[in-house]
Amino acid sequence: MSEAPTLRSILLRTVPVWLGLVALLAVSVLLAYRPLGPWNAALAFGIAGTQALLVAVPFMRLDTANALDRLTAACGLFWLAILFTLTLADVFARLAEG
Amino acid sequence: MTATGEPSPALREPSPPLREPAPLLRESAPSLREPWHDLGFAPADALARQRAGASFGMWIFIASEVLFFGALFLFYAALRAEHPEAVAAAARETNIVYGTANTALLLTSGLLAAIAARAAEVPALRRLVLVCLLLTAGLGLAFLIVKGFEYREDIRENLVPGPGFKLADRPTQLFFGFYWFATAVHGIHLAIGIGLVTRLAWKGWRAPDFLATSPQVEVALLYWGFVDMVWIVLYPALYLVGRAG
Repeated sequence: MSEAPTLRSILLRTVPVWLGLVALLAVSVLLAYRPLGPWNAALAFGIAGTQALLVAVPFMRLDTANALDRLTAACGLFWLAILFTLTLADVFARLAEG
Repeated sequence: MTATGEPSPALREPSPPLREPAPLLRESAPSLREPWHDLGFAPADALARQRAGASFGMWIFIASEVLFFGALFLFYAALRAEHPEAVAAAARETNIVYGTANTALLLTSGLLAAIAARAAEVPALRRLVLVCLLLTAGLGLAFLIVKGFEYREDIRENLVPGPGFKLADRPTQLFFGFYWFATAVHGIHLAIGIGLVTRLAWKGWRAPDFLATSPQVEVALLYWGFVDMVWIVLYPALYLVGRAG
């Protein structure tokens, strides 16, 4: 935020990220048709997580955001982790009991 | 000029208003919101503080939305843990062509939104910002149109949970319950985003200073980025799981 961005600097910071996003989309489609067992879902959601990160950090500018904004974004993920951990612990415990 | 064009001396001197806003702020930063005039900051400082406050508020909203959509994805995770075959069989019924095309549309709109958010800080790039905003909204609209065609096909194929559902295994109906609810809620979010971005383009076109002096640009485009992220996670959940089977 120190100096005013130029068109060139803006495109250099955004277009490569978009190329990465589209490439990851192509990879995830190709991998989805390969029989990889449990790895199919792991790779599909792993790629989606990477893409979401590419939107949040360079596109939504978390990389240059102030500490308060970053902390707030991290809080969302932290509470989400609590929600998933406690609920899925219960679900998997019941499934294991049969 | 006749006498009618000249107000009488009594009317020329208006009574002073109860609270006089700081005239400097009024004139140099027209799009700053009212309460900020009373705080007495210099215009650049006031804008920076307003931007910081608006972005912080938006991130709080996004964090709460993460939990809202997180609850939906949690349902999906539990469903998939209990009925992996049914989820895979149901996910094979979604149309991957529509889904992938829509993902590409939203990723591209995300690029244009990111360019617009950065370029909005440079007054010389106003035209670029307007073009990017309109294209962002246009791609969002294209997404909804593709989604409409997809919904029509899903309805024709009896993929709406209830009597006469296409698949016999009952948990597949739970998957499609998630499909309809999650895509509809995402579609509503996207429609709101299209409205916000179109409004920005309209205001930026009408008032040349608006885009460079309003925190609304950053806020609306953060929202757009979030709606983008929701779809990025929905895409493998609805379209990719089970394709290999």
